[in-house]
Amino acid sequence: MGLSRREFIKRTAALTAASYAGLSLPISNEDYSAHASDADSWHKGTCRLCGSGCRLELEVKNGKAVALRGIPQSRTNMGYLCMKGMLFYKLMGNNHPERLKKPLYRARKDQPFREISWDRALDIASKEFAKTVKKYGNNSVAYYGSGQAFTEETYIFQKVMRGGLKTNNVEGNPRLCMASAVGGYVTSFGADEPIGSYSNFERASCFFIIGSNTAEAHPVLFRRIMRRKMDNKDTVKVINADPRVSPTSRIADLHLQFAPGTDLALLNAMAYVILEDKLYNEDFLKNYADFRMGKKKKKVSLQKYMAFIKDYTPEKVARICGGNITADKIRKAALWFAKSEGTMSLWTMGINQRSRGVWANNLIHNLHILTGQLCRPGADSFSLTGQPNACGGVREGGGLCHILPAHRLVKKNKLRHQVERLWGIPEGRIPPKPGYHTMAMFEAVNEGKIKAIWINCTSPAQSLPNCDKYRKGMRREDVFIVVSDIFPTKTTELANLILPTAFIFEKTGVYGCTERRSQLTVKAVNAPGEAKPEVWMVREWALRLSKELNDPVIKKCVEPFMGKEPDYELPKAIWEEYTQKLTKGRDNDLSGATYEVLEKLPDGVQWPAPTKQWALKGGTDIKFVRGLDPLADKYAKNDLPYQFYGPAHPDRKLWIWLRPQKGPAEMPDSKYPFYLSTGRIIDHWHTSSMTGRIIELMRANPYAYVEVNPKDAERLGIKPGDMIEVVSRRGRNILPAKVYVGPCEGMVFVYWHDEDENRMINRVTKDAFDPGSKEPEFKICACRIKRVSGPRPLKPFLVHMKA
Amino acid sequence: MPVGGFVINVDPERIEESVHRLESVEGVEIHGSDNKGNVVAVMESSTSSEMEAMVKAIMAIETVYSVALTYFNGEDEVERGRDGV
Repeated sequence: MGLSRREFIKRTAALTAASYAGLSLPISNEDYSAHASDADSWHKGTCRLCGSGCRLELEVKNGKAVALRGIPQSRTNMGYLCMKGMLFYKLMGNNHPERLKKPLYRARKDQPFREISWDRALDIASKEFAKTVKKYGNNSVAYYGSGQAFTEETYIFQKVMRGGLKTNNVEGNPRLCMASAVGGYVTSFGADEPIGSYSNFERASCFFIIGSNTAEAHPVLFRRIMRRKMDNKDTVKVINADPRVSPTSRIADLHLQFAPGTDLALLNAMAYVILEDKLYNEDFLKNYADFRMGKKKKKVSLQKYMAFIKDYTPEKVARICGGNITADKIRKAALWFAKSEGTMSLWTMGINQRSRGVWANNLIHNLHILTGQLCRPGADSFSLTGQPNACGGVREGGGLCHILPAHRLVKKNKLRHQVERLWGIPEGRIPPKPGYHTMAMFEAVNEGKIKAIWINCTSPAQSLPNCDKYRKGMRREDVFIVVSDIFPTKTTELANLILPTAFIFEKTGVYGCTERRSQLTVKAVNAPGEAKPEVWMVREWALRLSKELNDPVIKKCVEPFMGKEPDYELPKAIWEEYTQKLTKGRDNDLSGATYEVLEKLPDGVQWPAPTKQWALKGGTDIKFVRGLDPLADKYAKNDLPYQFYGPAHPDRKLWIWLRPQKGPAEMPDSKYPFYLSTGRIIDHWHTSSMTGRIIELMRANPYAYVEVNPKDAERLGIKPGDMIEVVSRRGRNILPAKVYVGPCEGMVFVYWHDEDENRMINRVTKDAFDPGSKEPEFKICACRIKRVSGPRPLKPFLVHMKA
Repeated sequence: MPVGGFVINVDPERIEESVHRLESVEGVEIHGSDNKGNVVAVMESSTSSEMEAMVKAIMAIETVYSVALTYFNGEDEVERGRDGV
């Protein structure tokens, strides 16, 4: 006896870790359970700081978040968390002094902010939007949201914008990260989002990781891949294809380091080998596949595809790709890919953030369709998502300008009218034309076409490519900007009205992660000061708008939610409307996933989940497979085991696309001879407005730096820590150098989290975008670099609210 | 004084050497390991900044593939309201 609380906590830590890894330790805490009872309440929820959807429990003591542990029964993370996940509770409640706590307002952007009441704030927001609509029309207002907002939040915002304000100017930052993945899934498989699940990590025999530094961007998922590899060292192969050597490459059997922008050629060359060596799956092709080309989606024959692919011999492509690529390596990768018992491809921004991101997605899917590496255990073409609710909220909830809730296209009359009926608003209320996509939206701000915009939970002033160009528009005095967020950001600097919001665990809502899984987080601690959940703000704003514009339909949009308390009942009512009315009968049917069901589960529900019984089992692990997916049985048209019922392919086939190699929008030249690529570091997330405020994470990586290949560094006389100027046709940064065998020769790499004007790399990146997905090419532009001085003392920088 | 419970994954062929190196990091206690390369570790430090630095040091060991947290308690720090919280 006499075990101290400290010793108790240490034993708890050891026992928790051991139980997750399946180890037994010769210690126990059983005799000291008294300590456990002085603890506290535990609350289930989802980590906020990437798209993996890790589940954890937060310990609350005296109203404060003090500890957390992973949930071992969770099918997403099996109890494991990363360092960001470990520390994000420090931002909750009153744990952080810098949280925004009061609405702030200034009529002009050159004035200081002053605190105002919520009443006044909502009056101002509604009057400004109403005034703009009256004067300039419905398309002069916009909403720009986030893959970090709850589904309930995105849903209610877009409902009020479309049904109430009669505009489809509804966008969100997922346009910047996963729009190309959406385009790829819809055009290749006929339906958005991956077919399989994380459960394939433990069943795959070959991992093809391209354009993803999984180890740093999705560390907990990487742990599962690593475990699979380490437990089956000789039989499981890992191929990592990336212009940059990253921590992900550590477990790779084969690293394909290609020059930036040659990815399409590499993928076509793998298809070449699959065809030449007859590694394709003839039955699968016969039963499930078609070949398509061009804008008109023209159907073509296998022979035509073969003739097209003839141009991509491994020998020729090895020369195009440069780097360390050889014909033998391409052949080996294709052989492993095709012959493994189950191949799982994984990618993220390296593929999506390309001016031909949709094509790159198509070409990965091509490899899976050709070889039949789909729908069976371990076989999947799986795009990883960067934000916790890019999939659930924005892709599924109607958060982009061209899609309505539950994968309905705005331009389809039938689907639009369906939504109007379900909302009980007059037919024709939602305009038939999609709104501005993200880049067009901020271009419209520049041009003064958009006069009032509400930006929720994201910081486009820093996250847009070529951001100086778009900050100019946001600075315009005739553009009224509302920003709702938890901390000051580069975007609050350009706002007229700042609304303080509740953070995760301070409000209730659902996140839908990468694997089609919706997971609920219920409020556990109070938000600081007067910070409020967004769902309350939107409801109150809509009621005022209705009066200002004398338009009862706006009120009608929030009528089902009147009188509900905002912390639980209000989001629950919104979720009910969305799932029971909007998703019912759609491919992302979530009508079985009620709050009651979600609260019973350690993790959540994967759609389709049309009944509560199915949802309680966790939903659908693999789509399109009869016996595993209830909709595959319901919509079966024949006796085949797979039924590709996706709404975009009426022929119910998977489409193999003929897509040629296409380089980036801007190639290095004599003036700007380097490729510039950008990305993430493990400790920081996005614009670091959150991770930068967790002092441990900030100290670990206080500023961004530029990674330079040692050969280039030697040639240019650059030493580690030297200050380097990185210049493009658009802007310039000065950052310290990290001389590192990461980027290939001729390429530099910069982390994009830093808020300091000298180290904000989106001042340098290019705003070219994919013509299909409209996703910008953050990953490639041309730049030149120059050593300007030796090492200088640098300070971390964050935007603070001026007193 | 935050306390963290971790599963550290090391190269299964170099477990002994890895454990030895892990033990040399101050504040790290190794509670057990298995032949798959799972190592159970408890880390204790005076601030969470220090723990972050310890994790960094561990991740730099070339036989370490991943460091995964399963439990974290920072109640002292939150109570004191120090270190940025």
